[in-house]
Amino acid sequence: MAQHRKALWEADLDEDLQDVDLNLAIGSYGQNGLYEDGASLRGQLGDTLVELPEGAAQPRIDEATLLAVQQQMAQQAAFAQIPDVVKRFIAHFHQAVLENNLAEITVAYESGWNRLTEKFYAKTEWPEAEVIAPLVNDDPIFLILYRELYYRHVYSRLSPDIDDRFHSYENSCELFNYLLNSDGPVPLELPEQWLWDIIDEFIYQFQSFCVWRSKVKSKTEEELGMLADANQVWSSYSVLNVLYSLIQKSKINEHLVALQEGKSAEEIAEIVGEYGTRPLYKLLGYFSLIGLLRVHSLLGDFTLALKVMENVELNQKSPFTRVTACHVTTYYYVGFCYIMLRRYPDAIRAFVSILNFILRMRQYHTRSYQYDQINKTADRMYALFAICNALSPTRVDDNISNIVKERYGEQFAKMSRGEEGIPAFEELFLYACPKFISANPPPYDDPEVLSTYINDPPVEPAQRHLSLFLSEVRAQAPVPTLRSFLKLYTSLDANKLAGFLDADEEEMVQQLMVMKQASRSVSRVENEKGLLDGQMISTSDLDFVINENMVHIAESTVGRRYAGWFIRNTEHAQRVLDTLRVAPLPVPQRPAPQPVEAAKEGATAAPRQGGQKVAWGSVKAA
Amino acid sequence: MTSASNWASPPTRPPLIETLVSGVDRYNPSNVSILEDYLYHQIRSEEYDCLANLAILKLYQFNPDLYNPDVVINILIKALTSAPFPDFNLCVSLLDDRPAPPANQDEPDPLPALLPTLTALHNLLQQCRFPAFWALYRSDEVEGLRDNYTVECVGFEGAVRQVAVRAVKAAFTSIGSERLGTYLDLSGADLSAYVEKLGWTTNESGVVSIPPNPDNQIESTVVQENIQLPQLTKVITHAAQTSLPIVPAVN
Repeated sequence: MAQHRKALWEADLDEDLQDVDLNLAIGSYGQNGLYEDGASLRGQLGDTLVELPEGAAQPRIDEATLLAVQQQMAQQAAFAQIPDVVKRFIAHFHQAVLENNLAEITVAYESGWNRLTEKFYAKTEWPEAEVIAPLVNDDPIFLILYRELYYRHVYSRLSPDIDDRFHSYENSCELFNYLLNSDGPVPLELPEQWLWDIIDEFIYQFQSFCVWRSKVKSKTEEELGMLADANQVWSSYSVLNVLYSLIQKSKINEHLVALQEGKSAEEIAEIVGEYGTRPLYKLLGYFSLIGLLRVHSLLGDFTLALKVMENVELNQKSPFTRVTACHVTTYYYVGFCYIMLRRYPDAIRAFVSILNFILRMRQYHTRSYQYDQINKTADRMYALFAICNALSPTRVDDNISNIVKERYGEQFAKMSRGEEGIPAFEELFLYACPKFISANPPPYDDPEVLSTYINDPPVEPAQRHLSLFLSEVRAQAPVPTLRSFLKLYTSLDANKLAGFLDADEEEMVQQLMVMKQASRSVSRVENEKGLLDGQMISTSDLDFVINENMVHIAESTVGRRYAGWFIRNTEHAQRVLDTLRVAPLPVPQRPAPQPVEAAKEGATAAPRQGGQKVAWGSVKAA
Repeated sequence: MTSASNWASPPTRPPLIETLVSGVDRYNPSNVSILEDYLYHQIRSEEYDCLANLAILKLYQFNPDLYNPDVVINILIKALTSAPFPDFNLCVSLLDDRPAPPANQDEPDPLPALLPTLTALHNLLQQCRFPAFWALYRSDEVEGLRDNYTVECVGFEGAVRQVAVRAVKAAFTSIGSERLGTYLDLSGADLSAYVEKLGWTTNESGVVSIPPNPDNQIESTVVQENIQLPQLTKVITHAAQTSLPIVPAVN
């Protein structure tokens, strides 16, 4: 069956390679009027969108000569404006890319670019690619990469206008065309972090475009016209096409399966072929899987989001990549999808695991330009964690729950009180949820429908998902109150309990059934393969059963754990003893160095003692 | 439903559908009819395949031209009876708000009118308010849904009863048959027959006993930590290696 599918797909590939650009993986089902749309789109954007393999990225100048001359003069003037240090940087950067010198590219990418941005381009664009083209011998590939950075800078520092949005899409298409449609794998190498950023930014720009596009009222006449003509730009199909194409080219799923089966490096190389063996394709393929997880989440398809991750093992011990941002994104979306699938224990596990990872990594990342972003996502995950823990109270990692108490203690207390906590759920959900998008644009191509659309706009995607989530929350709203009563008894007459709650007995029995359901969840307990798999578990320490009219209650308690604490401190004591042993004995004949030595000992010993005290304190408090 | 794998890939799913659900062909609009046929097969034969139905909604999401309200309503009806699992909301989540349809349509779209009803029914099931569910479901208000849709969905009422049975089985060891009757919307001989088919027993005073299952067996437990030797190997090894008496050589 699987083979059958593969064969079909390869047939598609050969056909599509002839003409169409990014329709490799999932066909060109964009719209029914694809060909007209495509043609008008190409007219709109110049002819660069498609013929990359032959034509490479020729600047789209096919106007009257006069115009060309004028433009050239303008470019020369712009070129003269560029500071020398920037010119040298670009030339150097270009050289590093030509030589596939990963170390030099990394330096230019991670520090050079950011330093010069701070210095010269904090509030303006970098020079346009056409202007710096002479510096890099019009190298089309470097110019695509340069534009990738150029637009990313526009999106992050400035506010992109419609041209930026269209052109950044066009440039992404050129980049992916070059990677996917060249004869064989391209000989390019880029740092892991940059490859992640390419995919990450591609999806960010898609999401940003969708949000911008959905705001009809603020559009100018010109923008309305352009949007009406170009409904393929940043379409969901085109974005999914890119991601699926990279996944299939790199054979990343086959690669991950082979790794899990313990295949040797040679066997894997054979399986993944000429593309998948190259780090560039392998990583782009892997990052595209994470990209799919994200895109499907943004579109509200939480089941499919987890399904595409079938072969990815969530585990930081043997990471496929060392890019921190990639891990953080993965766990954030996986955790969020689990919430929407009402699998709170799985969500909690995902958040605890990545939040601890971030805490450990903190020391290495304080200077990274991505640190802020990671911190923001982490904070949203603490909020999501609070939501999950309110809905499925469980004994969890003390480290993380202490931070949650600090940041969201107030909301958490409200959420643990049922119905009256709904506004707190709402607040945290809207703060921490992904930036949901609509799959389809407003009807820009039909002015009449558009005006009804403006008068009666649809509910915003985030609000739609919020209300679905709140319906789950409302269903189990009576649980916290019931729980607090049941905790006091080992058995209790249903009628009496109803009296306490000031409720009718039948109503209360129904609420007890809800409570039972809320204390059960599907969860991955035995490391099942695939993120959707799992089995039913009990999530609550308080359980009950109704025998006709009597409610019997049983509570499970977990004894305090000592082993870990003793082992850690024994190890610590051993280290202290070892340090003392290797320290030189004081030499009585020379009194002068002795105090210095002693001071050193004191200095190293002091913080350790401090650490120990803190540990004692936290255990007592816990 | 103790394992989610039956949900994610039901054993009744044919290979062709599996190919669509797991592959990139799920995006091909020309496959929508295959999936729709499969939905109607589920409707007729009391099968259920959530992921395949979500694949239809995905195609509708990306290709508004394909949108068929009857199919959507049937998908939601099937998802309704998988409560307390969140299938219904997962389906609704894919229904993007679509632009107003052209005014000159022959038949108005039935979904906007029915969605609030379906949502209300779903909420009642989620909240285990089974008597209220049956009251609403049998009311005149819901006649359209009954006559045009659920009547076609073979075993729909049985599937709702299964939702109630799942909830009762987990929470009760015994339950008065009158109460059970209101949950199942059955009484008299029908109820006795249904209870018997479940393998539950009724005593002479009309109390139904529910056989033990993992959810209605409760036990107070104290989980004590159990320290394993391997946890201590590192500490012991280290101690053994360094415990040679170190007597500083005194010259």
